[in-house]
Amino acid sequence: MTRRLTPLVAAIGLSAALLGGCQSTPPDGGVTSGAGSAAGVSVTDQAGRTVTLDAPATKVVALTASDVEILYAIGAGADVVGRGEYADYPAEAESVAVVNSGSETNIEQIIALQPDLVIVGTMAQDPEQADQLAAAGIAVAVTDAQTIAETYDTIRLIGALTGRADAAAAVIDDMQATFADLAARAQAVAPTPHKTIYYEVSPLEYGLWAAGSGSFMDEVGHLLQLDNVFADLSSWAEVDQEQVIQRNPDYILTVGMYFGDGPTPIESILGRAGWESVTAVKNRAILNLTGDELSRPGPRLADGAQKLYDFVYADGPAEPTR
Amino acid sequence: MVLPALLVLVLVLAVGLGSVAIPPGDVVAVVWRAVRGEPQTDLVTAPIILRTRLPRVLCAGLVGAALSVCGGAMQGLLKNPLADGTTLGVSSGASLGAVLAIAFGFAVPGVPFGGVMLAAIAFALASLVIILTLAYRLDASLSTNTIILLGVIFTMFTSSVVSLVVTFANDKLHSITFWLMGSLAGLGYTHVAVLAVAVCAAGGALLACGRELNAFALGEDNARHVGVDVRRVKLLVLIAGSALIGVCVAMSGVIAFVGLVTPHMMRFVVGPNHRRLLPASLVGGAIFLVLGDLLARTIVSPRELPIGVVTSFVGAIFFLAIFYRARRT
Repeated sequence: MTRRLTPLVAAIGLSAALLGGCQSTPPDGGVTSGAGSAAGVSVTDQAGRTVTLDAPATKVVALTASDVEILYAIGAGADVVGRGEYADYPAEAESVAVVNSGSETNIEQIIALQPDLVIVGTMAQDPEQADQLAAAGIAVAVTDAQTIAETYDTIRLIGALTGRADAAAAVIDDMQATFADLAARAQAVAPTPHKTIYYEVSPLEYGLWAAGSGSFMDEVGHLLQLDNVFADLSSWAEVDQEQVIQRNPDYILTVGMYFGDGPTPIESILGRAGWESVTAVKNRAILNLTGDELSRPGPRLADGAQKLYDFVYADGPAEPTR
Repeated sequence: MVLPALLVLVLVLAVGLGSVAIPPGDVVAVVWRAVRGEPQTDLVTAPIILRTRLPRVLCAGLVGAALSVCGGAMQGLLKNPLADGTTLGVSSGASLGAVLAIAFGFAVPGVPFGGVMLAAIAFALASLVIILTLAYRLDASLSTNTIILLGVIFTMFTSSVVSLVVTFANDKLHSITFWLMGSLAGLGYTHVAVLAVAVCAAGGALLACGRELNAFALGEDNARHVGVDVRRVKLLVLIAGSALIGVCVAMSGVIAFVGLVTPHMMRFVVGPNHRRLLPASLVGGAIFLVLGDLLARTIVSPRELPIGVVTSFVGAIFFLAIFYRARRT
């Protein structure tokens, strides 16, 4: 997280609220905190369910990678007793017990960890699985963030459930400050008409998939005054490579992974037949983000925005981050 | 003959139409300039047509031709109207080979996709041998039901092994299993060349067996009596067929229904004589898959549909219609 603009946080936080935070509706119900040690928690999660805890959770299983990141970001990392198998960040999380998630969710495995709270995402999880856990007497909170504003709600929700509302607010402020700063700086330098960008979420070899509007990449790109060439598609979609060539993006952001053999994701895009005429390919203006910064609704969206900003406005074409 | 003319028409249509709309005049101009070796003037449409659309259309045609001629030959050899790479489990065997080659980094130096292709061919052949051996043991008459049932069981088995390998392998393989479900996107002229060689060699070998396959239609014993070297023909058809299916799976993944349905459609057009049926299946399969891919590329443009969705949808309806007519008469 960038903290170098702390003096400006108040002013910028305000403009951030105008830029995107204004749609943010905090989970209602809020925190009912009793006096002294017996602080009960009752909040509404992002599926509209009421979650009640006798005390802030101290043994948490989080199935979604972004929720694990949020727990660590708000200082609740020590309370995480189980993580979904895709939760690979931060590095400390790797010592935490792994549980299956998604369609392979194993209720027994979760119960065995004796958590007082299980955080599940709507994207990967069946509603019935949440009910099953609830039936086993374990509190379940459902998160569901499709936008940056909803990501703030998730952070706020997890902060409330773990008794770290202040830390959660600080993380949100930090993110808002970074976004506002980057947005303001981008606005100052961005050319008109805007430069265009193509977000590649799956490479050609496995079927070309692009991120359309309603994705975090698209939202962050907007903040940075970049127009998504596939703004007419919603979320993610398989596209024909002809479309990319014709739409001729100025920049390409790929989240392709490099496995140590063959061409890197950037080399593979540069070498694609027929793509020679694409501006981003001609200028080698391709960014490879490999840390899921812009694919997970978590605090690192701000890091991803920073990297995209640096790539477009500061550094220019860079080596892939590995 | 109508079919080759239709194929040419479909090829022209498929190169002319696409996700990006390019006026027919421009398409002709671009191709004409490329043929005469003149420099291209339009630097956006020329690469779209010449470097992405044309190789893809050619690959679709070659894969469709290969799968269909294999289907036709196997249906003839096994006297089984349901025989085809996918129903016999040969395709899934080939994809298991491809996945293993990728997982263990098996490569042939200097040959593009050599490792994946060799493994796919070897596993395709091995699958066919296993299925047919088991079938002979269980039921010497090689009845339709036995073979198809074994094919289904074998497909389940191989796909569970693929899942097992993927579980213990990295994310890359995760994506590759998607590709194995069938895709013609991203194929280039190298793929065209490899497929063309395979179709000429193995497809040619299958076409040459037309007369023998006609004799098989009357039963193996009858074929032997009229002087057919039954063993040799069987081996030839099985090896050539597996090799073709292996190459196709290595290039484009498993594309269902093409090899099964095309020969049936062609029987309506040219009749059951394999000397006419096999070439017709070759051409008809190319038409079928080029059209299917054209639909996949354009019907929800700018998005793209998986090719298997189109071939299975169209193929299943066709197959049902053929089946219905055959049972009623």
